[in-house]
Amino acid sequence: MKNRITTVIMVLLAVFVTLGGNTSCKSKKKLAKEAAEAEYKSKVDQSVNDLNAILDDESLWTLEEKEARVQTIKDWNLQNAEVDDLLLQVEKKLARERAQKEEEERIEAQHQQQEQSVNATLENNFSSIARAGSTSQANRIINETLGLFESKNVPVLIIIKQNAGFNDYDRPTTIENYLNYLKDQKKATEKIFEIKYNTNGKINELELIKK
Amino acid sequence: MKKIIATLAVVLCFVGTALAQDNLDFERKKAIDSLALEKVRDLSKYIKIAGSKDTPFSEANRVIDRAEELFMNDAEIGVSSLSSNTITYYRVRKYFEHLMRLNYDRVEIEWYNIEYVSDLQRQPDGTYVGVITIFQTFRGYDAEGNLQYKDTTKKDITVYVKRKETQIGGRTIGFWDVLLGDMRVKETTNR
Repeated sequence: MKNRITTVIMVLLAVFVTLGGNTSCKSKKKLAKEAAEAEYKSKVDQSVNDLNAILDDESLWTLEEKEARVQTIKDWNLQNAEVDDLLLQVEKKLARERAQKEEEERIEAQHQQQEQSVNATLENNFSSIARAGSTSQANRIINETLGLFESKNVPVLIIIKQNAGFNDYDRPTTIENYLNYLKDQKKATEKIFEIKYNTNGKINELELIKK
Repeated sequence: MKKIIATLAVVLCFVGTALAQDNLDFERKKAIDSLALEKVRDLSKYIKIAGSKDTPFSEANRVIDRAEELFMNDAEIGVSSLSSNTITYYRVRKYFEHLMRLNYDRVEIEWYNIEYVSDLQRQPDGTYVGVITIFQTFRGYDAEGNLQYKDTTKKDITVYVKRKETQIGGRTIGFWDVLLGDMRVKETTNR
């Protein structure tokens, strides 16, 4: 009798242990699934927010940061219809922005190249005027140089001394008078400090500095 | 109270900057000294160009305009001669016209030893005034190239340098305006 009772208790214990373990395993899987679902939802929400912010120009990200963000979202491979639709729109928008930026950079580089070329031409013409062998030769270079300017009255500023925070200038003159000055004095003692252009690419202000 | 302190700070900042721009340290003073000397050297070139018989009339007139801009409105230039003790003073344009009419076939004018005899000194109104002395050798030749006349004159030129402001391209430019005053004959010799 005692042996039968012991056997029943052992069987009951085994049943409890088995049932208890099984229930715990099911609970862990459920938690993991819920966590994965939560993470997925969080990524979808974040993606939707970020992509909308990019579309509505409400983010402070640079173009490169936006592109990196889009790549991260694509790498998540969320397979969400809303996210996929937004990705499509954002990629088109960023492609336009990228093209515009590249065009701006190309124009800027072209301007820089043009400015360097104008700088070299101007400084070369200044010394050619100063070294001209005759008045007519100097006048020919003066007329050629004036063609780079908006008008013969374009202001020319000459810095005589740079100080902390401000410049000391000579009395301002005009480009026509400055070029004639080079011819008369037969010396070119200034170099180009800054050139300003109008929308037609003509110089409308010239700043020089004593060498 | 805070507003008053802030306003005072802004005012003091502006006054400080303005004073810094008017008060000259050694380097700035040196740059302005050089600028004034350069204007005198520029004048010597204009006199040489206008005096030359080879200079076309239009060029001479343009040069006279530039030379006039170097001077104060009522400035006069003294002219002397070995043949007379009288020194005649001309307004700038009249001086150049006189120079162009000189009865020689060729004229040579050289300026040298251009230097300060009295450094630029700040006046109560903020103008810097100094005196620059120059030596001028004049030679007049006839058609055959024979030297007809030669003298060397020592002249003193008063220079006035004042800080002014102008608007260019929407910004205020502070510049040093150098103006020449009278050019006085101090001595004329036949050397």
